Amino acid sequence: MSRKNVFLVMTIPALLIFLVFHTFPAIQGIFYSFTNWHGYGDWQFVGFKNFINVFKDQQVLDSYLFTFKFAIVATILTNVLSLLIALGLNAKVKFQKTLRALYFIPYILGMLIISFIFSFIFSKVLPDIGQTLHIQWLSSNILGKTSTAWLGIVIVSVWQSTAFNTILYLSGLVTIPGELYEAAGLDGANSWTKFWRITFPMIMPFFTINMVLAMRTFLMAFDQIVALTGGGPGRATESISYVIYKGGFEGGQFAYQSANAVIYFIVIAAISIFQIKVLQKRGEQY
Amino acid sequence: MKKRLFWGLVMSVFTALLLSGCSKNANNKKVTLELFSNKSEAVGTYQKLIKEFEQENPDIEVKLTTPPDAETVMKTRLTKNDIPDMFAMSGNGTFGELARAGVFADFSGNQNLEKVRPVYIDSLEKVVGPTKKGTYGIPYTPNANIVIYNKDRLKELNGTVPQTWNEFVALLKKAKAAKITPIYWTLNEPWTDQSPWNSLEANLVSQNFAKLENEGKTSFVKTHQKVAKKMLTLINYGHSDNFGKGYSDGNTAIGKGDSLFYFQGNWAIPEVLKATPKANIGVFPLPTSNVPGKTKLASAVDIVLTMSVKTKHEKEVKKFINFMMRKENAQTFIDDQLAFSTIKGVDQNNEILSGIKPYFADDRITAVMDSYYPQGMGTASLIQEFLQKKNTNAFLKKLDSEWAKTLDHQ
Repeated sequence: MSRKNVFLVMTIPALLIFLVFHTFPAIQGIFYSFTNWHGYGDWQFVGFKNFINVFKDQQVLDSYLFTFKFAIVATILTNVLSLLIALGLNAKVKFQKTLRALYFIPYILGMLIISFIFSFIFSKVLPDIGQTLHIQWLSSNILGKTSTAWLGIVIVSVWQSTAFNTILYLSGLVTIPGELYEAAGLDGANSWTKFWRITFPMIMPFFTINMVLAMRTFLMAFDQIVALTGGGPGRATESISYVIYKGGFEGGQFAYQSANAVIYFIVIAAISIFQIKVLQKRGEQY
Repeated sequence: MKKRLFWGLVMSVFTALLLSGCSKNANNKKVTLELFSNKSEAVGTYQKLIKEFEQENPDIEVKLTTPPDAETVMKTRLTKNDIPDMFAMSGNGTFGELARAGVFADFSGNQNLEKVRPVYIDSLEKVVGPTKKGTYGIPYTPNANIVIYNKDRLKELNGTVPQTWNEFVALLKKAKAAKITPIYWTLNEPWTDQSPWNSLEANLVSQNFAKLENEGKTSFVKTHQKVAKKMLTLINYGHSDNFGKGYSDGNTAIGKGDSLFYFQGNWAIPEVLKATPKANIGVFPLPTSNVPGKTKLASAVDIVLTMSVKTKHEKEVKKFINFMMRKENAQTFIDDQLAFSTIKGVDQNNEILSGIKPYFADDRITAVMDSYYPQGMGTASLIQEFLQKKNTNAFLKKLDSEWAKTLDHQ
């Protein structure tokens, strides 16, 4: 066997696994979105009925609003925080390695576990503190109020995902050659100018990928919703994935929610492509 | 290269043999039945009864599956065509939906049905609906939507168990004035708002509501004004964090006497006692009318025993169901679970539940209607939202539109 063929053979198992576990179910989902299948039992083709209904469904529209509001706020917060932490960890501080390991821990823990812990904090610890200190807004569970429940979800999500983005920023900061800062220093640039004129442009590719990754992850928010609010109070914190899952498996709307999922797939793909295109262009300007 | 390949093959064959050796015991031809239950509270009791059953029938092994969020797990398994042999599940809307989809075997004519109070067979058939004739399971235990009250707190207020709605509200006012939390709401988990809703609806709205709503001949706006109004009265008598506390908080609070009343079902009693073993509590149905004695107990089939239509072990499953339906075993089950039995002559004699015993004895029972709602409508979340926003008309309209929408999307 020639060297080339060996490499080809090596890709085949992965290709098969990808086809069986990814492409095939995806095509199946698209197929069922044109039927009225409950998830079991008999079914018929219904054409585009499901797709038309998705656009008329207030619950779906509300979940889009919530998801985007949540994703945008969480993406910005995550990126600001993780860039700050990365800058700090990149500087020559004491216990640098320990701190790096420490900041990475949230990412190792599962979102679900973190959410359950925070759920306990929100429902027991914080109200207790609020009551002892007589702070009105803190003395009841913030997840219980329509106006504040989404903030609880943002806090937990940002707390968990900052870790991963920090690592990416760190690896970006390491690539910046020290001479640039030296030269800038000689020219009399202060730290603020150094950051905006050197650091930020140099890590622009990392900024792009972090924005895209964070946005994509938050748009798919699911675990934290299940564990923290179950979509409530009322339907105030139902993310799109949560609506798809809940309607599809609990509500016997398998086909209808498949249509919702197909539309959502297109939306996410479009956003990711847009982000990469726009942010890359900006990156090239520097 | 070739040598390595050979050893690789040998190793994989060996591993395969080892694995298959683990999963099957070739000498022992035991039949394994899977019992799928949605009651995590009852795991211990089931295991006790299963052990006895296995001793009686050494050739049958029963595997109990009780996942959290069981109904969802069941549906995901059905999509994969991985169906358990038998089910001990709630006789609710999901049951009706699955029965209509032809998942369960028809038990019409089964001798066990003769032991069961007819009201529950009737209720089960109503859940399945007229499109699919038959009895798709054996009702095993009914549940009851009740008010749990703390006897110590009631005594402090010099109160007695209320017989009418006005008496009930008067007690709430009295408790509030005495700085005792009148009702411990646990609305962080929306499903807990269904207990008072079910009691009110089952008593104040016609039992034909679901059928008429499906045909578009009635609406929530027309029929549920009183129910909504009474819910709004009740939400005024909560604690400071009505939407921040959950089921387990409530179970602890009522046992400790942190509140006077707590809306739940009889299934919560064992949990309350687990949290506070010496809890001094009693129960009564939420009085919905001002005519004493007119209130009926809102009840549904809590556990129905049924079988997959596709099981390969029909004989063994029926053996297990017959075993569960024996009077002494049904008694064990309800004693352990503080539940009631659908079987005539099997009574619950626990002191705590004495407040609702006469309702079962005199058949003063009305069927809970949420099992007739379209599945996946998310009524509990909608009620939760309503209790925050308090917008009666918008809420009732939304129930109507969600009903139509959910039917249309299935």
